[in-house]
Amino acid sequence: MVKPPGDQRATRAPTVLMLAPVLMVVVGLFGAGLGAAFLESIGAEGANPAWTPTAEHYLAVLRDREFRAALGLTFWIATATTLVSTVLGIALALILVGLVRGRQTAYVLLQVPLGIPHLAIAVGFVTLLAPSGWVARGMFALGLIGAPSDFPALVYDGYGIGIILAYVVKEAPFVAVVSSALLLRLDEEYLSVARTLGASSWQQFRHVTWPLIAPGVASAALMVFAFVFAAFDTPFLLGRPYPSMLSVVAQRRYLSIELADRPVALAMALIMTALAASVVWAYVRMPGSSLGRERPAVF
Amino acid sequence: MTLRRVTIVCCAVTLISTACRSEPDAKRAALTAEAFARAEWSQVLDQARGSTVSFAMWAGDGARNSFFQGTVARAVATELGVTLRMIPVVEPADVVNKLLNEQRAGRVDQGTIDLVWINGENFRTARQAGVLWGPFAERLPNIRYYDPSDRRADFGTPTEGYEAPWEYAQFVFAYDAARMAAPPSRLPDLKAWIQAHPGRFTYPAIPDFTGSAFIRHVLLHASGAPRAAFDAGFDEALYARASAAAIDWLREVRPSLWRQGETYPATPADLNRLFVNGEIDFSMDYNPAFASDRIARGEFPATVRTMVLDEGTLTNYSFLAIPFNAANRAGAVAVTNYLLSPAHAFSRMREMGGVFPLMLEPLSPAERQTLASLAAGPATLPLEVLTQHRIREADVQYLLRFERDWRREILER
Amino acid sequence: MHRSRVSRLATIAGLTGLGCLAVGPLGLLVVNSVGRHWYWPALLPQEWSLRAWRYVASPEAGLIDALATSLMIALVVATLSVMVALPAGRALALHHVRYRRALVFVLLLPVLAPPLAATMGLHAVFLRLGLADSLAGVLLVHLVPAVPYATLMLAGSFANFDPLWESQARTLGAGSWSMWTRVTLPAVMPGIAVAAAFAFMISWSQYLLTLLIGGGRVITLPLFLVGFVRSGDEAVGAAVSLLFIAPTIVLFTVVARLLRET
Repeated sequence: MVKPPGDQRATRAPTVLMLAPVLMVVVGLFGAGLGAAFLESIGAEGANPAWTPTAEHYLAVLRDREFRAALGLTFWIATATTLVSTVLGIALALILVGLVRGRQTAYVLLQVPLGIPHLAIAVGFVTLLAPSGWVARGMFALGLIGAPSDFPALVYDGYGIGIILAYVVKEAPFVAVVSSALLLRLDEEYLSVARTLGASSWQQFRHVTWPLIAPGVASAALMVFAFVFAAFDTPFLLGRPYPSMLSVVAQRRYLSIELADRPVALAMALIMTALAASVVWAYVRMPGSSLGRERPAVF
Repeated sequence: MTLRRVTIVCCAVTLISTACRSEPDAKRAALTAEAFARAEWSQVLDQARGSTVSFAMWAGDGARNSFFQGTVARAVATELGVTLRMIPVVEPADVVNKLLNEQRAGRVDQGTIDLVWINGENFRTARQAGVLWGPFAERLPNIRYYDPSDRRADFGTPTEGYEAPWEYAQFVFAYDAARMAAPPSRLPDLKAWIQAHPGRFTYPAIPDFTGSAFIRHVLLHASGAPRAAFDAGFDEALYARASAAAIDWLREVRPSLWRQGETYPATPADLNRLFVNGEIDFSMDYNPAFASDRIARGEFPATVRTMVLDEGTLTNYSFLAIPFNAANRAGAVAVTNYLLSPAHAFSRMREMGGVFPLMLEPLSPAERQTLASLAAGPATLPLEVLTQHRIREADVQYLLRFERDWRREILER
Repeated sequence: MHRSRVSRLATIAGLTGLGCLAVGPLGLLVVNSVGRHWYWPALLPQEWSLRAWRYVASPEAGLIDALATSLMIALVVATLSVMVALPAGRALALHHVRYRRALVFVLLLPVLAPPLAATMGLHAVFLRLGLADSLAGVLLVHLVPAVPYATLMLAGSFANFDPLWESQARTLGAGSWSMWTRVTLPAVMPGIAVAAAFAFMISWSQYLLTLLIGGGRVITLPLFLVGFVRSGDEAVGAAVSLLFIAPTIVLFTVVARLLRET
């Protein structure tokens, strides 16, 4: 069915009224919160009216070696998680859609990890993948390793493998759910035309399926990236003290007993926000990105 | 155009209402420090009777939570007529930050936390920010059970009556007697042991409280400087000497640590996990009864024992403080007094094990009898041994500087 | 065909692997919560004990109360989020909105920002508004991370909704209410269910926001969970984790079954 372009309203409610509550929450509350954090990060001290704006806290952050190391690690983990989750999620969706029997069951099963909060997954992962964890003990029982030190470092390692895996367990099903919804809505006609023209499975995917689902998948991938970039629980439990992800570094600074570290922690959090925001802004501005189009297709 | 206008209006409305201050809730006249100083103790008790005290304390231990919400709550209700409410807290710094926000917003009374369990470093921050109420500690009848020198300063920060000492903490190491018959008990011997057993020792990374305590021992003992030298405030020259020796010590053992010292466990939970699973041979904690506790709940094998260093291990007290905007100050003061009493100390030892925190001289003969009858846990060192090897914390400046140096020299290479 | 059998085996192996990775930690949490003395290299604990669960169920622990509080808050937040996000999602998807990209970007900000960024500021704002240390404040502040997610999901749902259906209903004489309940809502019900589920989960998992804005008056499960996990009482930490997981798994399974029927 071809949808006519332009304004699609069937209700007479004005747009702004419909958007107002959400805007009040997001812009009003969150914006005020962010604004207050910004003020403190440039030197405001609440009770003290006589303060001058200063960039010293931001400079302190940028000069901090730990911050730079954390920046690299955070981008690496967020990117790796997003890529793996996206590829795996699409693969899972394709399998799901291709199933004839048991598709419903598989669909329900796929959503189970989505129902487990990240904190709980991280807790479980420590018991599962630590050098003295259950998988290692299984391998010991099978005679594959001799001691915990022989087990590869999957948690507390320098590349964040444990963190990435713990995120993928939830994010891949997320991408899979989004992708399968998109796949199921695909018009079969395109694919049958391609098949008639002699296209192989891979060609069908690459030239027909992928361009049609890409915008929606990209939105989901973006949300995954943004979430992993800023989340705290998983890297705190599964990561190394150095280098840590940015959220852990900022948290450590905030909990520091030095009062002077508080504005630095806030500056760090705001820099993180700005970084993630610029990635998203760049994506939104890309031509053809679903978020920039008239019709966002997240689901 | 309309959208932009509406957005601006929304923001303006929210920001304007934000700028308006909320009415302070003046239900109960808050007890001022001066009034407290003048009041009779019975008057304070009367004011506390029938009220609720919200106590913010660390809630990560099931046995402890049960003890406070059960036995202690009942005792406080019976003796003082006060309802005790526990507020779970993970980091004392969270509470300090909350108080700081409230202070900046001008919320000077009707605060939701009446009593807070606090430790030295956070006390200093709280005092600097001025978010504590007091002085009150020296006016408590039961303060006489505590050694004056323990009451005077906390990590070198003068308490000035703004916090009352409460539970006794002394750093101990734990080891499995089934695996190790004679653990090294002097710092140089420990170093030799670590180097002879690569990968079998580690400590939690700073800023964990326990890990920080461990490296402080190295700071205080490695250079051979007498402990008394650290008591005279912060001495830059002494620090330079001690930290150089300590950094050398830590750097020299690093290749022999677990994971070659490339990473460290982040929390005591992680450290204990390594310990019970046989990856490392030592654990450590500030609570001298921590091994007995864990044996009781089935985490440690029954053969685990604790030890202290011959050179001494750090002791400090955990303290109780009252936020500047506490709604129920009389109640908080009354509850604090109860928590300092021998009755409470005995009931705590009975239910949770631990070490007796009070001085022996002010105890009555009957109370001394009770103390003698209480058995310490199987893995807890006797009080005499602990007392013989106790050393007090040095000025908090040493801690702050050395933590920073550790991160720079050891962790970040 | 040989290739399809191989690909089927690969499929099964891959799904099993992922399934183990997802379910394994859960199983371990269960075992951890009832085990005593579980050391390397034992695959199962030496002894079994209900100490952790007895503690969790005890009134002194306050965990059941915290669970109830968390549940109530999350349900209210989910409901409010959907109510607020429905018109906004529809407007975003179907109406002509100038600065749409800026709007989507602004909606993404609470999702992108680390919890620390706005939390301190939100606490200050709520203190001024007189909403700190109150249940109402906690409900309101949980909306901040939940509403953007819900809005974007509903926008996606509405993007596939054709308003022509509504016009047709009107032409056939349906009033506004019938049109909503018989045409619009059923069409976006999947999106509503998912948005509500995610909003529930976001509120369910909040720690710092509840700690600061609740001020100790509002005690939810994450406040306890974080402490137990870091402390090392593994059995109790595992039991509380399971308590923490149970409602959300049930919720998502129910939503998944609801969705497959549409």
